[in-house]
Amino acid sequence: MTSPVLPLLSVRDLVVRYPARGHSGIPMTAVRGVSLEIAPAGIFGLVGESGSGKSSLAHAILHLSPPAGGEVLFRGQDLAAMKPSQLKAARRNIQLVFQDSLASLSPRRSVLQTLLEPLDHFRIGNPATRAEKAAMALETVGLDPALRHRYPQELSGGQKQRVALARALVAEPDLIIADEPLSSLDVSVQSRIIELILELREKLGVAFLFVSHDLSAVQRLADTVGVMYLGKMVESADTDTLFERPAHPYTRSLMAAVPVADPSHPRPAVLAGEPPSPLTPPSGCVFHMRCGDKIPICSTVVPNETFVCGETGMCEDSRRFKTISHRVRCHLWNVTKT
Amino acid sequence: MNPPVLSIRNLSVSNRRTKQPSAVVQQISFNLNPGEVLAVVGESGCGKTKTAEAIMGLLPRDGWSVQADAIELDGSDLAKLPESGLRRVRGRKISMIFQEPLTALDPVFTAGNQLASIFRRHRGKTRSEAYQCSMEMLSKVGFADTRNVLKSYPHQLSGGMRQRVMIAMAMACRPRVLIADEPTTALDVTTQAQVLDQLTRLGQEYGTSILLITHDPGVVAQYCDRALVMLEGRIVEDANVRDLFARPQHDYTRRLLASVAGVGSG
Repeated sequence: MTSPVLPLLSVRDLVVRYPARGHSGIPMTAVRGVSLEIAPAGIFGLVGESGSGKSSLAHAILHLSPPAGGEVLFRGQDLAAMKPSQLKAARRNIQLVFQDSLASLSPRRSVLQTLLEPLDHFRIGNPATRAEKAAMALETVGLDPALRHRYPQELSGGQKQRVALARALVAEPDLIIADEPLSSLDVSVQSRIIELILELREKLGVAFLFVSHDLSAVQRLADTVGVMYLGKMVESADTDTLFERPAHPYTRSLMAAVPVADPSHPRPAVLAGEPPSPLTPPSGCVFHMRCGDKIPICSTVVPNETFVCGETGMCEDSRRFKTISHRVRCHLWNVTKT
Repeated sequence: MNPPVLSIRNLSVSNRRTKQPSAVVQQISFNLNPGEVLAVVGESGCGKTKTAEAIMGLLPRDGWSVQADAIELDGSDLAKLPESGLRRVRGRKISMIFQEPLTALDPVFTAGNQLASIFRRHRGKTRSEAYQCSMEMLSKVGFADTRNVLKSYPHQLSGGMRQRVMIAMAMACRPRVLIADEPTTALDVTTQAQVLDQLTRLGQEYGTSILLITHDPGVVAQYCDRALVMLEGRIVEDANVRDLFARPQHDYTRRLLASVAGVGSG
């Protein structure tokens, strides 16, 4: 692969496996060989249902749960091969924001104390300038610095999520991994956080891996989208292509399930059945049991990744970094292409 | 037009525990008509859940003060019933499902056990009859493998399955009114479509009117007939869904509807 811009993060064939629990005796493979690339200041949206392995993938990138296979390259360097001191430095550059901001903020620490912690940990600035940096981070996320003496339980949901973002920002990272940062918020508050994320990317050049099950949020935010189902990336493309011409039947049913705020629009189609258990994944294509378009080969042979259009590479238009490649794991595309 | 199934007149709810009693619901009135799916929309803190809990009589009396001229269900005033009378009505004539089914289901009993107990308590069925009814009810909410679900404990079921078990329990007595408080907020979009589809279909079959609390304008547009928009404890707009989206009257409604950019709708 030849890229004019070196990707900030590149994940190759990542596998995440959890040891067997209880008496089933089968280890659970949550992520089965996923690859993705994020450009500097790019926003990658990772979508999928609960249990599809999105969070496992996000955590494995930081080696919070060690991957069972594959590699994670940050600025071309393999995180697994790093010495602890190098890993610590890399982690300063990759920060995490969690879904439940109340659970991820300590109830015993004021906003200021919360923001000072990463600065102390990474020895950024001196004690005198740290408080100043913390106050600046609050302003960056649109919070009144006067809130710095408050405790998390005294803040609203949107304010807490802004504090969580400020905590990630004080370390001046290049990449923020945001794991479902919107799902505990109201629609109008979600909208403001989305605007904030776009603004941070614009102003500070921070890249985001944005994990979400909310397609409309991903459509507004991401440059590139990856769709996961049962631990596999079944489709990926730049955002406009994916939403205009979704190629995988699963992506299509995911989009068809979103209720549209227009009473004259037909009701969402119902995708029958439940996602299969990752302990006993189906043979062939992971989606074949719920797929309306399946052909005989789908239940026996695992589909390879096919290019729907475009070429690998990055281009930069006026506003967005774009990967011009639309890839899908579906037999239908092998059939229609040849 | 038929008389409303549920009629609320001047309902106010206030918190007794705060220094000055603060009203979270202020003098609201509305009707729920037969067979209707009525949405209650608004952001968290607007009083939509407290309205539902007040109707069901679920608010502890030492913490909350509930005042109403009338909470009429089929002509009888729930506000005047003692706790024992309410207990006979809840689950039988009016029932409720919640946002997080895992906390609403009892973790130490199987789904079958909890479902069957409703048929035994409210419909006077024997153990084996109740088991039969439970199986039928589960297949009505879309389960194929009903035997297995009956034997499962709540933690062994997925979020969507749990919510469908909750719907089966809430609809077991073919209630006149079902209150669904953000039933799909914790679920994925595909599961949400399944659950809302089953819920509205069963409501139609049983003639149950549904009060659907949500913050998602998409859910209102696609699954509801009429909507109440709540802001700071008051109903600011009460309109038929088509009119609401075509001609929102209140400024807040316009902002609420504008906050969503639907997938595929531009």
